[in-house]
Amino acid sequence: MKSRLFFSLFCLASIGLAAQDRTVSGKVTSQEGGGALSGVSIALKGSAKGTVSDASGNFQLKVSSSSDTLVFEFVGFQKQEIGVGNRSLFEISLAPAFNSMTEVVVTGYGQQNRKTLTSAITSVKAAEISNIPASSSDQLLQGRAAGVQVNTNSGTPGGGVFVRIRGTSSINASSDPLYVIDGVPVQSNNLSGLSIGGGITNPMADINPADIESMEILKDASATAIYGARAANGVVLITTKRGASGKAKIALGFYYGNQKAPKKPGVTDGPTFERLMNEAAVNDGKPAPYGNPDTAITTNWADLIFRTGALRNVDLSISGGNEKVKYMVSGNNMLQEGILKKSDFVRSTGRVNLDFTPIEKLKIGTSLLYSYNKRGRLRNDDNISGGLEGTFFYPTDRGVYNADGSYFKIPTFENPVAAIAESDLAMMTNRFVGSIYAEYEFIHGLKLKSSYSLDYSNVEETVYDNSKTNGGSAVNGRAQALSTNNNNWIQENVLSYNFKFGKSSVSALVGTTVQKSTTSVISVTGTQFPSDDFKEVTAAAIQTATTTGTSWGIGSVFSRVNYDYDRKYLLTVNVRRDGSSRFGKANQYGTFPSVGLGWVLTEEKFLQDIPALNTLKIRGSYGITGNQSGIKDFQALGLWGGAAYADLPGISPTQLANPNLKWETTKQTDIGIDISLFQNRLNITADYYYKKTQDLLLDVSLPRSTGFNVLTQNYGELENKGFEFGISGDIVRSKSGLTWSTSLNMSFNRNKILKLAAPFNVYNRDIYRYQEGGQMFSFYLNPQTGVDPKTGAIQFEDVNGDGQFDVNNDRRIVGTANPNFTGGFTNNLSFKGFDLMFFFQFSQGNKQLHWNRFFQEHGGTRSTNFSLSQLDRWQNDGDITMIPKMTAANYASDLRPSRFLEDGSYMRLKNISLGYTLPSSLARSIKMSSARIYVSAQNIWTITNYTGLDPELTGTASNALTQGIEFYTMPQPKTIMAGINVTF
Amino acid sequence: MKTVTATKAVLPSASLYKLGYAFIMAGLVFTTSCNKVLDQSPQNEVQDASSITNRKGGIAAMAGLYNELQNSNYYGSNFLIISDVSSNQGQSIGTWDFYREMDNYQVSLGNTENGNFYARAYRAINQANNLIAAAPGLADASDADKNKMMGQAYFVRALAYFDLTRLYGGVPGVVGALGVPITLTPSRQIDESSFPPRATLDASYKQVEDDLLQAENLLLSTADRSQASKGAARALLSRLYLYTGNFAKAAEYATLVIGEANYALNPSYTDIFLTKLSTESIFELNYNAADVSNIRNWYFPTSSGGRGDLAAHTSFYEKAKADPKDIRGTLFGFAASAGIYYPTKYNKAGNIDNIHILRIAEMYLNRAEARAKTNDLTGAIADLNVVRKRAGVDEVNPSGQAAVLAAIWNEQQLEFAFEGHSFFDYVRTGQALTQLVNVERKNGPPVSLTIPGRQVFPMPSFEVDANSNIEQNEAYQ
Repeated sequence: MKSRLFFSLFCLASIGLAAQDRTVSGKVTSQEGGGALSGVSIALKGSAKGTVSDASGNFQLKVSSSSDTLVFEFVGFQKQEIGVGNRSLFEISLAPAFNSMTEVVVTGYGQQNRKTLTSAITSVKAAEISNIPASSSDQLLQGRAAGVQVNTNSGTPGGGVFVRIRGTSSINASSDPLYVIDGVPVQSNNLSGLSIGGGITNPMADINPADIESMEILKDASATAIYGARAANGVVLITTKRGASGKAKIALGFYYGNQKAPKKPGVTDGPTFERLMNEAAVNDGKPAPYGNPDTAITTNWADLIFRTGALRNVDLSISGGNEKVKYMVSGNNMLQEGILKKSDFVRSTGRVNLDFTPIEKLKIGTSLLYSYNKRGRLRNDDNISGGLEGTFFYPTDRGVYNADGSYFKIPTFENPVAAIAESDLAMMTNRFVGSIYAEYEFIHGLKLKSSYSLDYSNVEETVYDNSKTNGGSAVNGRAQALSTNNNNWIQENVLSYNFKFGKSSVSALVGTTVQKSTTSVISVTGTQFPSDDFKEVTAAAIQTATTTGTSWGIGSVFSRVNYDYDRKYLLTVNVRRDGSSRFGKANQYGTFPSVGLGWVLTEEKFLQDIPALNTLKIRGSYGITGNQSGIKDFQALGLWGGAAYADLPGISPTQLANPNLKWETTKQTDIGIDISLFQNRLNITADYYYKKTQDLLLDVSLPRSTGFNVLTQNYGELENKGFEFGISGDIVRSKSGLTWSTSLNMSFNRNKILKLAAPFNVYNRDIYRYQEGGQMFSFYLNPQTGVDPKTGAIQFEDVNGDGQFDVNNDRRIVGTANPNFTGGFTNNLSFKGFDLMFFFQFSQGNKQLHWNRFFQEHGGTRSTNFSLSQLDRWQNDGDITMIPKMTAANYASDLRPSRFLEDGSYMRLKNISLGYTLPSSLARSIKMSSARIYVSAQNIWTITNYTGLDPELTGTASNALTQGIEFYTMPQPKTIMAGINVTF
Repeated sequence: MKTVTATKAVLPSASLYKLGYAFIMAGLVFTTSCNKVLDQSPQNEVQDASSITNRKGGIAAMAGLYNELQNSNYYGSNFLIISDVSSNQGQSIGTWDFYREMDNYQVSLGNTENGNFYARAYRAINQANNLIAAAPGLADASDADKNKMMGQAYFVRALAYFDLTRLYGGVPGVVGALGVPITLTPSRQIDESSFPPRATLDASYKQVEDDLLQAENLLLSTADRSQASKGAARALLSRLYLYTGNFAKAAEYATLVIGEANYALNPSYTDIFLTKLSTESIFELNYNAADVSNIRNWYFPTSSGGRGDLAAHTSFYEKAKADPKDIRGTLFGFAASAGIYYPTKYNKAGNIDNIHILRIAEMYLNRAEARAKTNDLTGAIADLNVVRKRAGVDEVNPSGQAAVLAAIWNEQQLEFAFEGHSFFDYVRTGQALTQLVNVERKNGPPVSLTIPGRQVFPMPSFEVDANSNIEQNEAYQ
């Protein structure tokens, strides 16, 4: 879209300058379907003259001589050049650009033809991600782009997503990519302030995926360095749809469906629970506690809290314009009900994208998004008050209620039914992301663009636990209200100049950007409510409040030069200098350069005679990027915070000073190749990269005898290296109308910690260990070798070789959550109006810690329920199993047996859809220009050996040093839905 | 096309382009103000340089001392639980296996609660070191102010080193030879001095004694028992000398405290826990709705708004109930769903129970023990019976030193049940390996403390990882 605007501007700029000889006219249509194409750029080769086709595809252009050549360019279509000759009427039919080499890709602060790109950028287009019921756009990247790993942490609607571009490149600072929407770097961190479990919410869900025209993933340093100190984790550029010249186009999309749990908790029924408890007691020499297990009742707790959730989405947009004004206005409403009762996500968004050209040479416009959404939340993911957690723990041989009507309760855990029914947790977000810009072209090719942007979020959260809950019962109800305001403003100026001399073309830019971010949080809590009917803090007898605030700022200058000689030899040089408020005066500024080189071999004479080979390009880049995100705003300072003692105000040290703190830097080398074959029907892109992160912003573990836990220091090194490729092909394009296209991408990343101050363990029970030579997310457990078939005793590896097992020392890293490879495989088939799409997504070699089993395979050492896996316990001489005899010794409290670490590899039919598009004649007869109906399903088939609810889960997402651990986490739902898309 | 017309009417091109120019110019001007965004200051906190700079700051830092002590990682709940669960009083019946490990004498190096206590105690020490370093230089503070600040800081540092030493070091003559790392200056940066090795056990206790003598000297006697006072320093000295075997001094300091008019046995045992800051207390941590202790939450069942992860051992409940006249036996509840008893000493809704660190009853029992050790059996029995009488039970008159000591030690267990004394008293008196035997548990078979080296806890794994000078305790190597 941007390219269209660019070209229209280009054309308008030339009006009035043109010499006048004669006028040619014509019509542009699509080779596929024959429909008129509006907005096609028609330029006179070698001059600044040009125009765009109107809504019916018609155009007029003045030409000066018959030797002129008309160049037709349009996004998504192959460029066509035609000599004018003596013709005055042109019927031009453009072929779709199956060749990714002809597409225009969005780059940081600009756009570029893929052919002259020296960097590694993957584009994901709207068509690939439309009509998929994902609440957030980052989820849609899963399996779509080589080099990008996406894990959906849970099935919580609007919940967090784990996104890594070319691996995890930081330990304590953030490894999440930078998201830039229409040029605005947006806030993408969890803003929820509630402490309700290990899960997080995803602010990217504020954006309506249907507004997205394309997502570009910038991967190597040549692509990202223009974002300097924020680029080390890669950048995702999201470009929203904009208006084009032509009559108003109204698009309506609607889908409806439902969501179900793929699996429910596998726990023992009442009689089995009692039999197992009896067996454990007898094994330990105690009397059996249950006299007659056979008569035990069974309460199926899961059935009481799971449900089939509804899914509903409506999108409406209108776009159009003329040469002076272009507009795109859209609205969205989405409802996604979770598979657990009371969990849901409702979103309404409105977008207005405008572009004015009040006079030639000047363009002004806006991109405005307003989003309101509301989440019904649950305590989940390692939360003892959560309904899902209770479902695993509550014995099935007891009823929901006691005889007096009160809830039956066991120690520690909330009754699952009460957890859902008696607590209310809500999160409401108001978000505004807006930018206004003006762009002036001084002379042809020389432009200055200024923009102001604002990204504002207001998050209101409420919690109420009535007097029937564990948390509320002692205090007659408990409530919390939390208000979080996050405000980012950004001002940018970019001066760009594009020119050609001889066979060389240059596009250069220089720019400045300033961003300030402030966050404030107000929290009030209340206890002692007059009755369960009062839920607002105002009614509480005891009220407390806190407020906090923080801020950061960054100011930068940046520059880029793209040079190509004859579209054959390519060079890109980037440099950015950033200043950050987070670092001390001595190290406040950092400079981040990169260089990229490309060689289009197919432009050389010696390769031009091979008809099958359309494009062959090799490219390489090297650059340095920085990272400052994820650390606290005032990490460099020695700080004292409030430390009240009852009614007395107090202070105490909270942080040691490190005035030398500076950016974490990542040096990345990339070598890539792009190949197009057979009339561009087969495209291959492959890259090898090596990324080394130095001066890690590492929370160096201190001797606690200093009074501090950590000091954030620039210490340590981490590397990621890997190989990634994407292949896409138009396998069948038959005259009969059958088409079949397919694409496959795979990413292989290897992560290694090169240098640390000292090894350290992470999370309760030290289940992750970080050490030199190890990887991120490495599980640290007692390697269990088996169970003695004779005695049923648990057996472990003697790690330190001292001849005996010792729980503290015979422990080592037994695997990591990092996959060997991830990828996606898509197929699109169409025939006479029918279309079929199926998309597989896979991950291989990642280990998944099934931590629910740690608690549910307790062998009788807890009074809570068992998982079904406990049934495989050793019982008799000769039994071969990994589950030991149920005795206290085999299930001792300090053991961390490795048997809970399972293979998390999976392949999933992520999406399948079947659609039918009405013939255009029929559509027109019902006053539509197009209409498509479809049915689709998500996550309906997963191949995995993992025994938990979902191999993708991470129940501890709020701790960025953990990954791949199921911890009473809601699984992703299976979805079935039907929808319709019409345009008028 | 209608939209276009409408727009033209509202925003004529002529105005729009002027706006455009103005906009770009403003943008360029804006850039020049870039440097301002790099100057951000913390809102929630102040920097080192503006922390303890005047009398007010010193007083705030003094409150900060108690804020560290009262944290749930320390006296708020964790430190009391560590002692009582490791003994035969409390048991772990829930999922928080860090307390289950203590209950079973299987404390892992990475035990979260063990680490929480260790780190928090050193935070208290660093806070004290800061105040000790800064107080003498406060221009607007009187000598009396400075003495109070320094005295309280010395007391808190002594208490933290005492607790660290008895948990990780041991008791001279019973278990352990190594103490804990000693740091006496505030941490401002990381250098070679930030990696101290463990001092010897004797040197660690000597540090506690030195600090307490300083505190005793600097602090005044006061009826404010929510902060450290001369009486509190003396009371802790009395306890310290029982650990180091200096019984004469233990008795001497107990006598000094008993003689102080600010303290008297609360006639009602249950009132000690109902009424905050009663005369019973020598040093008591104060809590309110904004600043909660968390110990009730651990013991009270879920149906009463607790977590219910911990309970009393049924055998201990039966022992406390054995004499029906004993008021202390009434401070238990029964959780029917789990079939266990739980202590109700800490029972205030909202977890605002105060924590009693030193109370006058302890001085009677300390003196009783010291007198018995020095063969003043009559005096010992007299002190013992003062405490028994208040609890509503009959006076006793055992004969022979061993029997007198046994009666005193038994009384300590009953009197200070669930107040964090139990395990330490068993270890201190050399009874741990004989008393902590076949303790019944709800979940699993009975447990015994059989390995002598497990009378102390492991140095946390993070400390051993971060400081290569730290030697791990033998039983955990």
